[in-house]
Amino acid sequence: MTETYAVELQDVVKQFGNVVAVNHVSLQIRDGEFFSLLGPSGCGKTTTLRMIAGFEMPTSGAIYIQGDRQGYRPANKRPVNTVFQNYALFPHMTVAENIAFGMEMRKTPKDEVKRRVAEVLDMVRLGQMANRKPKQLSGGQQQRIALARALVNRPEVLLLDEPLGALDLKLRKAMQIELKALQEDVGITFIYVTHDQEEALTMSDRIAVMNNGVVHQVGDPETIYEHPADRFVADFIGETNFIPVKVVSLAPEIVVELGSGEKVTAGWVEEGLSVGDRAVLSIRPEKMDLLELNEKPSNPSKDTALVNGKVTQLVYVGTDTRHTVALGDGTEVVVRLQNIYIGEEPWEIGEDAIVTWNAAHARILKE
Amino acid sequence: MERLRRHPELQAWLILAIPVIFLLIFFMAPLLIVFVYSFLERGKYGGVEWVFTLDNIRRVFDPLYFKTFLRSFYIAIVTTLITLGLGYPLAYFIAKSPPNRRGALLFALMIPFWTNFLIRTYAWLTLLRTHTGLINVTLMNWGLLSKPLPLYGNDFAIILGLVYGWLPVMVLPIYAALERLDESLLEAARDLYASSGKAFWRVTWPLSLPGVVAGSMLVFIPSLGAFVTPAILGGGKSLMIGNIISNQFLGAHDWPFGSALSMVMMIAMLAATLIYFRWTKKSESSL
Repeated sequence: MTETYAVELQDVVKQFGNVVAVNHVSLQIRDGEFFSLLGPSGCGKTTTLRMIAGFEMPTSGAIYIQGDRQGYRPANKRPVNTVFQNYALFPHMTVAENIAFGMEMRKTPKDEVKRRVAEVLDMVRLGQMANRKPKQLSGGQQQRIALARALVNRPEVLLLDEPLGALDLKLRKAMQIELKALQEDVGITFIYVTHDQEEALTMSDRIAVMNNGVVHQVGDPETIYEHPADRFVADFIGETNFIPVKVVSLAPEIVVELGSGEKVTAGWVEEGLSVGDRAVLSIRPEKMDLLELNEKPSNPSKDTALVNGKVTQLVYVGTDTRHTVALGDGTEVVVRLQNIYIGEEPWEIGEDAIVTWNAAHARILKE
Repeated sequence: MERLRRHPELQAWLILAIPVIFLLIFFMAPLLIVFVYSFLERGKYGGVEWVFTLDNIRRVFDPLYFKTFLRSFYIAIVTTLITLGLGYPLAYFIAKSPPNRRGALLFALMIPFWTNFLIRTYAWLTLLRTHTGLINVTLMNWGLLSKPLPLYGNDFAIILGLVYGWLPVMVLPIYAALERLDESLLEAARDLYASSGKAFWRVTWPLSLPGVVAGSMLVFIPSLGAFVTPAILGGGKSLMIGNIISNQFLGAHDWPFGSALSMVMMIAMLAATLIYFRWTKKSESSL
């Protein structure tokens, strides 16, 4: 018996004319999960969400909600609710009328509607706003009403389309935490569309990274950040150095040759690469360190990469300093060093240095 | 100049002064004249005798004229309702068309206005006339009718002509309201379990009401005062209050009575408008 998912997409394709917006996407979203669809604009994440909501119908493939195949079922017959990017609050109704709308359509008894509207307004802490019109509320308040209007219907799945996109940074950060706490509280599956990688990493249980209608990787935030599956994911999430290399050996260990001729080992190699292929070594700036020439270990472990370079630029950013270092072949890499050393002589531009990292953090990806 | 620069509100008044003076002379003054005339006695050959009387006002409520009054209201209301019934779907269709096609559709809607209204109404005459009209002649030639249909010289013909004339005026404000409507509001309604019908009545319709109100006023007011259409298509048998008024000035040379009819009609129109506004306000807020 296979597991029943909150939402399952099987090989879903969506075409608009000649444009393929979503290209053979399969996803399994578990019950109670905070699942994010992350990608740049136009990557197909919103179209995917709209197909789950029932605003768009897939060109091919199947969508299941709680094991129930949706087919061409219209939006009003699906057990999901949506929080829209622009909130889409009904301007001619009060806050309470907005929230009651869904229950009214389902012919919920009047006294129950009243009770649940009051409850959910309390939950988003806007009880005193019940009789206001949406126009009279701030952006953050409108956002919470949009959330309340969806949640009050106790959907199986809540769909959120960049709900914090219109808020200023500080409010957005606060709402991220609030939203995550709320999701844990109500235990409803959230599917969250965002282009903000930090937001996705902060809030999600799992993330699907999308680009050009294709899902590149699905995983928890740590996996996505620490073990990106390909170059797009490594590049889109956080900051990464890409060093052009040639694959020298895949077994017993992964060895690549840098442009300068220096050889280093790596922890992981993307499937499909073979010996002799050109590739990139991907490594995060904070996983690297710089050594003075005279600090070079005499008997280094084979997992320690030691590459010669020259410091070309220093940017102080508070918590750390970004050191740009040119390697032997001219490739520039960024090394982030935390500013925790007091009294130590800082690096200077033009100084020779040895760039070092642990092979486990280096991933060999297709170009 | 220095003073002007220091007092921006003076500049605003200066700009406003021109239209205000224009309106005072050419709108308020004639209105005042009509008002004063309606309390005077008629002159022998048109014009007025400066003798105060309430007879003209009293005569307006004579059943002979008052019945025409009521009938004019009836025709204007029916015209407005039919125009709304035809205009709303048309406006909806144009508003939902792809943006690059909307301009062409609105343009097509305006084409009839290129021809003089009088000419167009006469053209309708050639279609509707009982014995020689194109419709009846064709249908009778095809053997579909043995007797001509009463298409001309009655309320039907007047309402048809008025609906035709004012349809674009109904469509434009409704189109403007629908075009502004945010599509995601409808999606939100569907998402909250509303059928497409429910989504229309609870979201689209109330949000397009300002357009409906504007369009209805723009059709109702000129329909109530119409005189070209009833004169031509009513065939002299079916008249509206506009015809009686024009007859007082042009035919009967009873300017004071014509003025009194105009004044009463204007007041009735004002009352109808206020009631309508209040009613739509109320239904808007109860939605």
